[in-house]
Amino acid sequence: MPVFRRLSFSILRSLLTLVLITAVLYATVMLTPPETLASLYMPEKTSPRMTEEMYEAMIQDIIEKYHLDDPFPVQYVYWAGNLLRGNWGYSPNLQENVFNGLTRRAPATLELTFYAIIIYFPLGLLSGVTAGNKKSGIADRLFRTTAFIATSLTPMILAIIMMVVFYITLRWFAPGRLGTAFAPLIEAEGYKAYTGFITIDGLLNRNPGLTVDALRHLAMPAITLAFAQWAILGRITRAAVIEENQKEYITAGRARGLRESTLAWRYALGNATGPVLTHTILSAASLMTSVFVVEIIFNYPGLSTVGVKSLAFIPDAPSAMGFAIYSTVLVLILTTLLDFLKVVVDPRLREES
Amino acid sequence: MGITRKFFSRWQNWIGLFMVLAFVLIAIFAPLLSPKDVETQGVVSSYLRVPQPPSPDAPLGRLPDQTSVYEALVWGTRDALKFGVGVTAVVFLVGTLIGAVAAFFGGRVNTLLMWAVDSFLAFPIIAGVVFFQQINHNLLVDLLESTEFAGFYSYVVQNPTILESVKPLFTLFMEINPTALAFALLMWMPYARVMNASVMSNKQMEFVLAARVSGAKKGRVIFRHLIPNAIAPVLVLAAKDVGALVVLQTTFSFIGLGHPTPWASALLSGKDWIFSPKGIVTYWWVFLPITVALILFGVGWNLLGDGLIDAMNPRTRQT
Repeated sequence: MPVFRRLSFSILRSLLTLVLITAVLYATVMLTPPETLASLYMPEKTSPRMTEEMYEAMIQDIIEKYHLDDPFPVQYVYWAGNLLRGNWGYSPNLQENVFNGLTRRAPATLELTFYAIIIYFPLGLLSGVTAGNKKSGIADRLFRTTAFIATSLTPMILAIIMMVVFYITLRWFAPGRLGTAFAPLIEAEGYKAYTGFITIDGLLNRNPGLTVDALRHLAMPAITLAFAQWAILGRITRAAVIEENQKEYITAGRARGLRESTLAWRYALGNATGPVLTHTILSAASLMTSVFVVEIIFNYPGLSTVGVKSLAFIPDAPSAMGFAIYSTVLVLILTTLLDFLKVVVDPRLREES
Repeated sequence: MGITRKFFSRWQNWIGLFMVLAFVLIAIFAPLLSPKDVETQGVVSSYLRVPQPPSPDAPLGRLPDQTSVYEALVWGTRDALKFGVGVTAVVFLVGTLIGAVAAFFGGRVNTLLMWAVDSFLAFPIIAGVVFFQQINHNLLVDLLESTEFAGFYSYVVQNPTILESVKPLFTLFMEINPTALAFALLMWMPYARVMNASVMSNKQMEFVLAARVSGAKKGRVIFRHLIPNAIAPVLVLAAKDVGALVVLQTTFSFIGLGHPTPWASALLSGKDWIFSPKGIVTYWWVFLPITVALILFGVGWNLLGDGLIDAMNPRTRQT
């Protein structure tokens, strides 16, 4: 079936992209001499009484074992093989294996991204369509003003405003992931993390208070994230809707007596989602960057902590590499999903190319 | 040129231009506006870690570390413009060239190059900044260990016995701005895509065919015919990017990635004083001037870009 062929082609493209990006990353790291490269493979426990000769011997061992003297393609293949096996190195700043550290913190980031998307995506489409259908109407002008404000306020400034309004003054929401009353519950005996999303796990563990607390803490980061993204999505949708409305089939439908709402929501919107999804695919990396920025500002313990901790005093190449590759993988997964969604939504793309 | 006249004929297009010019003028006249040789520490001793309200020697108040907000604001425009225009120029050149060349050759070369461009789009910039800062750090530490000084930067720099050839390398590594490097390597893709589309659509036009038929070499066709005619949408992107990149850099700096800029460090030092028990407006000068300046910077370049779109739009062009 053409849909599956297209999906597998899309997955293949994503894999090749990942290969290209990891190759470029490793090539950049190779600018350092082999002794520094060995830091990517440093073992967990090193003896505290290590003399210089022992250190040199250990480094030489690592260089031989992982072929750090060989030319780039050989080195890259061995390093990529290590990645696939799950050996992403040990991070002294995180005090654990890089891969474990990343997967432990990933659900938090995914939860935040999930909630931000379900807030901004429908709202963005809605506002875009409403604004685009009556160009220069009240809805359009209101949308354009709000979108302008949303895009000129960076997450940093919006975060400060939200903290002052919702945390300091109103005490409705709070930074971080869980409050002091609920944080120990996650590590407790009877708690089973079914999905990793605290909001869902709270309900599954029969503790709705946990879900409410998680939502309270998620509110500010998710809304901050959603606010800027909503404006961008709304603008693209509005432009796409305006362009669709000028096409002949809309006039033809109107002449045949279709209601305006049917025309707007079933026909025009369906055809307008193509460019919308394409744009979202292209800006998936920028969405991920915004997620990490918002996480850091609100002290939300997601993947961004790996990135921030990698810059602590001890030079920590494995966690910086791991962070870069993991976030790229997330972006590529998101992109592939959106590509698949694009094919599902727009039947014209189901034809074999 | 018709575009210039079109640009200046509508009042909306002037706003962006004015805002950008204001920042450029502030940057140029920074020594006049906020002289550095005048003692701006004033009478207040520096152990007092409380923001001081506006006073004659610090027109916009002082931050907790006793830096004058006005001084940080005025001198920060220089850093902002240097970074914004510099990085955008590099990114513009790289992206435009790649996009134009790929589109010119067309076919498989174009598909391959555009696939590479799309691949780079999947890499989040924040990971790039973290990565380059890490590399910088590692190269620096390697340099330290190779000179057998495991110690601090100040110790190394002040030590008179260090080899003179090592010090410049050292300062070089300290000065390579990882944010600038990451942006230069990871922000050129939109330019390549837009230029690619633009050149592809121009490629079939008659003037290009005429040039090729008359025997022009490939490079000449690319540089003198295709690029000038296709460059309009990319210029808009460049104008908007100057503002956007500076805002992004300030955000990253605020978080702690990359080198600190005057604006970002001002915001950072005042971060804890925004929420005071007496209300948000008690220490307003700690964040408000710099925040407003940052927003106006981004908005100014954005409006300039919008004005350019408007001026170059063939549908509204009048002869």
